[in-house]
Amino acid sequence: MEVMALTRLIHHVQRVALGARTTFADGELVVSTDEAEGIMAHPALASVRLTWVSPGESARIVKVLDAVEPRTKGPGGAGIFPGFVGPARTQGEGETHVLRGAAVVAAGFLPRAQEALVDLSGPAAALSPLGATHNLVVEFTPAPDAGWEHVDAALRAGSLRLAARLAEAALDAEPDEIEELPSPSPIRGDRPRIGAVTNLQTQGLFKDVFVYGRSFGSSLPTLLDPGELDDGAVVSGQFGHPALKNPTYMHQNHPVVNELRRRHGHDLDFAGLVICPEPVNQAAKELVSAFAAKVCAAAGFDAALVTKEGGGNADADMALKMDALADLGIEAVGLYAEMAGIDGTGPSIVVAPEKATAMVSTGNYDHRLQLPTMDRALGGDEFALVHAPATSAFEVPTAVVYCALSPLGWGRVTARAG
Amino acid sequence: MANIVHYINQFFAGVGGEDSAGSGPTLVMGPVGPGRRLAELLGPEHEIVATVWCGDDVASGIVPAIIDLIRSVDVDGGVGSDVDGGVGGGVDLVAAGPAFTSGRYGLACARVAAAAHDAGWLAVASMHEDNPGLDEAGATPVVASGEVARRMAPSLDRLAGAVTKLLRHEPLTAADGRIGKLARLTVMADARAAERAVDLALVRLAGDHTATEIPLPRFDQVTPAAPVEDLTTAMVALVTEGGLVPDDNPGALESARATRWLRYPIGNLDALMAGEWRSIHGGFSTAYANDDPHRILPLDVGRQLVADGAVGSLFAEYFVTTGNGTSVANARRFGIEWAADLRHSGARAAILTAT
Repeated sequence: MEVMALTRLIHHVQRVALGARTTFADGELVVSTDEAEGIMAHPALASVRLTWVSPGESARIVKVLDAVEPRTKGPGGAGIFPGFVGPARTQGEGETHVLRGAAVVAAGFLPRAQEALVDLSGPAAALSPLGATHNLVVEFTPAPDAGWEHVDAALRAGSLRLAARLAEAALDAEPDEIEELPSPSPIRGDRPRIGAVTNLQTQGLFKDVFVYGRSFGSSLPTLLDPGELDDGAVVSGQFGHPALKNPTYMHQNHPVVNELRRRHGHDLDFAGLVICPEPVNQAAKELVSAFAAKVCAAAGFDAALVTKEGGGNADADMALKMDALADLGIEAVGLYAEMAGIDGTGPSIVVAPEKATAMVSTGNYDHRLQLPTMDRALGGDEFALVHAPATSAFEVPTAVVYCALSPLGWGRVTARAG
Repeated sequence: MANIVHYINQFFAGVGGEDSAGSGPTLVMGPVGPGRRLAELLGPEHEIVATVWCGDDVASGIVPAIIDLIRSVDVDGGVGSDVDGGVGGGVDLVAAGPAFTSGRYGLACARVAAAAHDAGWLAVASMHEDNPGLDEAGATPVVASGEVARRMAPSLDRLAGAVTKLLRHEPLTAADGRIGKLARLTVMADARAAERAVDLALVRLAGDHTATEIPLPRFDQVTPAAPVEDLTTAMVALVTEGGLVPDDNPGALESARATRWLRYPIGNLDALMAGEWRSIHGGFSTAYANDDPHRILPLDVGRQLVADGAVGSLFAEYFVTTGNGTSVANARRFGIEWAADLRHSGARAAILTAT
């Protein structure tokens, strides 16, 4: 059974500029600074500064927070980013316009946010999805006396509104590509039924993920239609572990989900997507894991691709969940970043599953990179991790490069015994 | 003909057991103990020209002296002449062990082999996969031995095979019994992780129950020691990974990724006063620890237990390191060194407080 739930109308962004009016034509996205500043305006923000940086430039973004792909379902958003831009009503069907090749990227200091960087050229550029996109960087100055939690909320709401508005400029343009996306099949056929289990790191303020506008922290695992991801039902407010985080942009373009869609009806049937919180305490981790396995069993999963968000603590969620799936006879494959030390000889995984032993490596967290000087930097003057000017050359662990070890499976970096 | 120096401990050299574990390194010409069987297995092509043995308690800390002894071996002119000026006077290979699961011996074998490798000789160590010394060998090959000395014969068979192969300048592989972790090297895969994950799921569903990109990490299973028979007469030591040091941190203990441990006297103290002690641990908020250092090192309760007659006495020093991102190899070494030190100090038990 082939259910087509969502159609992506893809507009390729090839050139970008700031200008008097927000327009999209012939692959060029022009953003009105005045309009964008108005969209970002919030009592918690004294001011914002908008700057484009593009692939190949000698430019670096530091203190990278969330990134959002411009999308809309119609004028005013028409339901996109439900719970933030649109009302909290289920989405995931119909048509969604996508400005592929562009991202709205908030950058600057927030408490608990770990220093993160994107290079637009040099060896780190290929390691981050934002190394290949035109990025509209939103820098900000908090209002005097504004609470940091209000600054965070203002940036999130503003970035999502801005992303929806940019996509609106393409509503009348002919799409470059049309992608018709299948929904998971509820009916068992001849092919193996494989689904995705996606953990969302929900550990409080500045380390939280929102589903339909609400923190997912106290929720139990649930099935989500993958089209809901496309329409922005999952929004990131999680600023820890830069290489191991899943910004909104990555949820919108969930690589495991996209791969399951691509192969649905060929060598597998896409069985569904289950999202799970990553709570802090052990008892809650155990409950969530057992519950996730139960939901997967009810949806008829033969195998589950389990993904995480965060560092060593999140390995515990992975191990518990993979073993809980194994207990119910569901084959689990975990996507893990390794934390094997600078020379790669340390133990790779903090908490390993005991029964479900299939793991894919998204690279070594501790592997060192030499980054070159850049002509300009956005997001801050200093790269806090090494207390050096943000434009200078320095050595960093892969762990600080935004999405470089993407737990959602975006990258090609891996680690092998040698 | 290749010239081999064999490293063993005091026990296998026939010198003695724990009573001789403090003996320094000694050079003997020709094979000794298990080296005799090893020499037979190697046949006439290769010769064990000398044996170096050392006591288990001191060996891992004086590896440079052991290397100097190996270097003093001269295959033509006897000990110490080093007339031809070549590396080790013609020594081609250093073999260490088998150490089985003996921790101190394994640590020494791993370090001697690694140092010999660094000095330019071929080197190989032999020990069981569970030996805590294994990780200390670095890039130097280690081949598996049995678990206990009863497995000496097959262990020497494997070591002899490894020596022969190394002398042919061929790399050792798992088929040769090579054990230990190979470094995880960062590379770019042909396909994205998402695609590889789907492929792996299909392979698993097709019946391959072992396929994976990441081998399961090997975590130690520690067998608890037998209970202390009579605590009322026992000396008990306090040991902590909580980073508690004198307030000015005179030994410069690291707040994370510790490479060493320190010892401080507490024999004249009944309590640890706030302001005089400080936790420098970087992995948690130390405010409560600094308010009352006994939260890290329970000296107050220890003294009370002694006063009540429940515990014989407290060891006059405590050992401290920082357990925060500390490498497993270093943590293992600390444990081996602590155990050896406490055993010789007469402590019968230790309370290890963790944070």
